[in-house]
Amino acid sequence: MAIIAGVLLALTPILAIHRTTEFMIFCIFVMSFDLLYGYMGRLSFGQMLYLGTGVYVSTLFSLHISPNPILSMLAGIAGGAIVAGILGLIVVRLSDAPFALTNLAFNQVGFFLIGSAFQTVTHGEDGISSGVEPWGFLDFANEYVAWGFVLACLLFTFFVLKTLTSSPYGIIIRSIKENEVRVKFLGYNTYFYKWVTFVISGSLAALAGTLYTLYIGFVSPVFIHPLSNVEVIFATLIGGAGNLYGALAGGMFFMVLRDSLSTHIPQWEWILGLLLLIVVFYLRGGITGFIKTLSGTIAQKMAQRKTGEA
Amino acid sequence: MIQTLLYGTTIGAILYFFSIGLSITFGTMKIINFAHSMVYTLGVYFFITMLPVLGGIFPAALAFAMVMVVPVAYVMERFVIRRLYGESLDYAMIATYAMLLIGTDVIKWIWGNTPLPVTDPLGTAVTVLDVSIPVYRVIIVASAVVLFIALNIFFKKHIIGKIIIAALDDNEGVRCLGLNVDRYFSIVFILGSILAVLGGVLYAPISAAEPYMGHDILLIAFAVVIVGGMGNLTGTFISGFVLGMVIAVTGRYYSQAADTMVFVVMAAVLIFRRSGSET
Repeated sequence: MAIIAGVLLALTPILAIHRTTEFMIFCIFVMSFDLLYGYMGRLSFGQMLYLGTGVYVSTLFSLHISPNPILSMLAGIAGGAIVAGILGLIVVRLSDAPFALTNLAFNQVGFFLIGSAFQTVTHGEDGISSGVEPWGFLDFANEYVAWGFVLACLLFTFFVLKTLTSSPYGIIIRSIKENEVRVKFLGYNTYFYKWVTFVISGSLAALAGTLYTLYIGFVSPVFIHPLSNVEVIFATLIGGAGNLYGALAGGMFFMVLRDSLSTHIPQWEWILGLLLLIVVFYLRGGITGFIKTLSGTIAQKMAQRKTGEA
Repeated sequence: MIQTLLYGTTIGAILYFFSIGLSITFGTMKIINFAHSMVYTLGVYFFITMLPVLGGIFPAALAFAMVMVVPVAYVMERFVIRRLYGESLDYAMIATYAMLLIGTDVIKWIWGNTPLPVTDPLGTAVTVLDVSIPVYRVIIVASAVVLFIALNIFFKKHIIGKIIIAALDDNEGVRCLGLNVDRYFSIVFILGSILAVLGGVLYAPISAAEPYMGHDILLIAFAVVIVGGMGNLTGTFISGFVLGMVIAVTGRYYSQAADTMVFVVMAAVLIFRRSGSET
């Protein structure tokens, strides 16, 4: 934990503070996706729906009920949890391609509801500004406060997921990824575990969404667009799926790459495509997998040298 | 209303052309092929480039575009898709998406970002029951029906078709007979790509050509493939037309909801037909 905070602190002056804050929010989103995909092996194509729910519920809450940032956040997270809870009842029955595409379908429906059907409330494509006001020391116009708060949320998410995934519950969901039928034979209600994981993942995605609301203060259907799902999938894979450090590394790497490439080269997406092909064919473990193999080889070399000397 | 029905069948025919390739890759190789939309877009751009060169003859340029896309499809199949056989769903999906990203940028680099219009090659319309029907759209629908019959004959009578059908059913079993299934898959992959180009070129006069034209139809085609059953060729034909009709009818009453309705239908099918789900 301290290491993560330290690394992020070191990155801040390099990337400028506002970018680091935004990237950290994205990292929270990547971690929420990693729980579902990396740990439980269910590839969803609709994680943006929960991010978008968090964004829109917190924005509308702040505009119509209370401008308190903490309450708006809680409302957004609750919104994400409720949506994930209801849809989860249906989608966790499925797996593989049907799971991925049903989530995509729900995401498309959500995008339609926000972008077109409830245009009077959400202002559709034009977007709306949130009504969040500073509360106590929590003033998001102050970059340092925002940075600290987002970092705290990131560490909180990391801590929660680290605890969860190393608990017996974590072992069960990882076993579901490997072989669900066997887990069932052991007497576990896999449906329940899958549902719980789906809801946790959705709530954490909504948490990332509420942070976008608080930090950026202006929301538009971009935050729920179905095609943006690929970004989070890529970030997870580049970092190495099924590893929380990988999720952080992947999230940061992807955002830095996107940010630097898109400012310097107008047509940058093919570089991302090439990188992904490399990941798929040569670097299955992503960044963390690469580091592990590298350190493994170095350790081996060292051991060889030692035996040679002796 | 007749206009709506005609529009629905036209869209349905285009969806059918596009979805066959997807359905076969889905059914045989268990790959969700995102790059299919790249081939589709590329074909349309080839067509646009060749049309003035070939003296504005629509069928000639269409045939040329279909031939041009063969090497592209072959390279994609040989160097990327073939290496993904038997891999997990996600890596295959990401690799094909990566190809889509690269391909789209290449298209933008060569032809630019601005949409290019394509004119209706016939421009004439017949009037039936006081409704004017563009002849061009009738031709699209007719060619879809002809193609459906031709494909059925191909898959039932021709040896390659029979092998593919058998492999759709039991890939391992066909391999055990000593047949090189990969080679036949690559033939069918190219065939699917050619048909996607056919669909794209026929649809271009109704819409316009732009680098991202494949994205929207790709998502809808996933729905077509899933509703029709993965690898089920007759199912793809029927669901193509049904979903085309869903788009047209919804679009008539509430145009923004047209695409969304398709996904609602797909979600309903996935939930109620439990074949895709776990036991």
